[in-house]
Amino acid sequence: MDFLYNPEFGERLVTLMAAMVLVLQIAMVGQRGLAMNIRLFGAQSFLLGAIAAAIAWYNHAPHIYVAAGMTVLVKAILVPVLLEKLVKRIGIQHEIAPIVNVPLSIVISGGLTLVAYVVAESFYHPEAHAASLGHNTLAVAVSLFLIGFFMMINRRKALTQVVALLTLENGVFLAAICLTYGMPLIVELGVFFDVLVAVLVLGILVYRIRESFDSMDVSKLRRLRG
Amino acid sequence: MILLLLFLVPLAAAVISALARTRRVMEIANLAAFGIAFAAALAVAGQVAAGGPVSLWGGFLYADALSALVALLTASVAVVCSVYAVGFLREDERSGAFEDDKDAGLSQFRKYYTLTPVFVSAMLLVVLANNLGVMWVAIEATTLASVFLVTFYGKVTSLEAAWKYAIIGGVGLSMALFATVLAYYSAHNLPGSDTLAGLNWSVLAAQAGQLDKTTMRLAFILALLGYGTKAGLAPMHTWKPDAYSEAPVPSAALLSSAMLNCALYGLVRYYVLAGRCLGADFPGGLLLLFGMLSMGISVPFVLVQKNFRRLLAYHTIDHAGIMATALGIGGKLGAFALMLHMTYHTVAKSLLFLCAGNVCQQFKTDLFDKVKGGVIRIMPVTGTVFLMAMLAIVGMPPFPLFQSEFLILRAAFGSGHYLATALFVLFGTGIFAGALLHVGGLVLGSGGEQPAVPLHPWRDLSMLAMAAILVIIGFWLPVPLLDLIRGAARVVTGG
Repeated sequence: MDFLYNPEFGERLVTLMAAMVLVLQIAMVGQRGLAMNIRLFGAQSFLLGAIAAAIAWYNHAPHIYVAAGMTVLVKAILVPVLLEKLVKRIGIQHEIAPIVNVPLSIVISGGLTLVAYVVAESFYHPEAHAASLGHNTLAVAVSLFLIGFFMMINRRKALTQVVALLTLENGVFLAAICLTYGMPLIVELGVFFDVLVAVLVLGILVYRIRESFDSMDVSKLRRLRG
Repeated sequence: MILLLLFLVPLAAAVISALARTRRVMEIANLAAFGIAFAAALAVAGQVAAGGPVSLWGGFLYADALSALVALLTASVAVVCSVYAVGFLREDERSGAFEDDKDAGLSQFRKYYTLTPVFVSAMLLVVLANNLGVMWVAIEATTLASVFLVTFYGKVTSLEAAWKYAIIGGVGLSMALFATVLAYYSAHNLPGSDTLAGLNWSVLAAQAGQLDKTTMRLAFILALLGYGTKAGLAPMHTWKPDAYSEAPVPSAALLSSAMLNCALYGLVRYYVLAGRCLGADFPGGLLLLFGMLSMGISVPFVLVQKNFRRLLAYHTIDHAGIMATALGIGGKLGAFALMLHMTYHTVAKSLLFLCAGNVCQQFKTDLFDKVKGGVIRIMPVTGTVFLMAMLAIVGMPPFPLFQSEFLILRAAFGSGHYLATALFVLFGTGIFAGALLHVGGLVLGSGGEQPAVPLHPWRDLSMLAMAAILVIIGFWLPVPLLDLIRGAARVVTGG
């Protein structure tokens, strides 16, 4: 059972999980079903929680366990459940209807990952901060952020934009975990609270938009101009 | 303790309003809470003026002159708007403006009187939080609290506006959150950086010279994009006209003055960190770029505008640009001009929204075509004040905004930003022409055959009070307030 105490193994484990997070993100770009997207987001958040827990264990930083637990509770369980409920209540299992087609979207996501590696390289200084994690994790975090942006622009339906916004936030969380072992606890709690409230607020808005417009296609929201 | 009182009292009013069963209780709770908050903000300003920065809980809450100034501005707009709202919402109920909504009546009052204090309380927390992370949480909370104020009338267009507001704000703030993480990381090789205080602005500012430069550069860019979205700098401004024209007027007044200040406050905090870490040229140049772009973009929209609430919104984008420009020019004069402009703009812009609200309620429309002019004959007081406030905000002397805009120009010219100076004058002229043309027509134009309507005490007296403040500070800025403005400018320039 040495590997439980071997920091090198810990780093590999974290890198592996970060790679899986990135795979899930690209899967979200490729998937066309809304329900599947929400589940992929849940899985991604669960992995993020696992990454946080692994970092807490191998670096003896117990305060990260709280962030890990909150991630699993809020983003892997509560938010997906709320969103799925909303999907059921609206009563549609529609497709995502991206603006750019799926194969091209995946190629663009690949390109954004490359950009993220370049960006991450520029401000990662291993010599200055001995304990910081490999720049792979940081690059994944930046990729999540950039691909999340791309998903926001590329999607027409209101609810799918909410999922994209949440993956953006996942990217920031991963960056915080791997750069500084997370933010101070009170800030972290505040952020989780805001995320939860934001999902509720956006969910209510989506529901009401669906009721009044009979569609969630936000490209139809075009009455206010000039 | 007074710091705690400042943002907890409005929160208490929110709880009371959420539980209250009559409109009267909600009105009293709101009026009392904002009155107390205003007194507390005055007290904080007094303490800061007398003995420098005040802090509580080991620096968790922290107020220097900049915080005190913005808190005072927020609290004064909030107190005037709370008086105005009493008259405005009663009139809405009387004239049946709530009927679109299924659950009209009391629940509408409850929505307004609960969300507004939460919104104001979050804005006050923004300026009192020393920790950049807590500041972010509070700014995000201002968005979340105000989304349902934008959907207040439950119209289809309000939903559209609220959606844009929430989604664009959400994306912007996720960038600001990234900026917060990077600011925290930029101090990672300094001692004590991994504690809660490691993210305190006062701690970071004190050792800004040793922060990691590359990280700080990226942090500032993200903060500028993030908080710039919240301030409505172009090209992230598209939510603004929609949200301002759909929200009930007292909320729009708060959004366009107090919340703009809070977003700019966030920018100023990052500007100081970046300026001390990288030199003022890098953040200053970016701010100038966005400032000029915002001023430029708002000109055509002001010139061809058909709706007077949207006109005011584009005008706010212009002023966000002016303030970003002033910060970008920097230096002692630029910082002073920024604080002066922020003070005057807050008073004048909220006053304009209150006037627009009166016109809107009287004519049941916010389109220039449908009002057909002649407001001054039907509503003599509102018409006069509207025109006066418009003259003030486009920078006509002797009104105070002439003074602050002139100072910004002088600072720009003095520091060698000739192109910026020229563009500033050009865009300023465009706005001047557009705004005066439209509002002049609205107030003075032909039409207005109906008899004059009597004053609405709550609504019109609060508007007159704000107008009185505008005139008074234009001719005689009280010395303590001037000192506070100078102190706030010193926070920016250091020393």
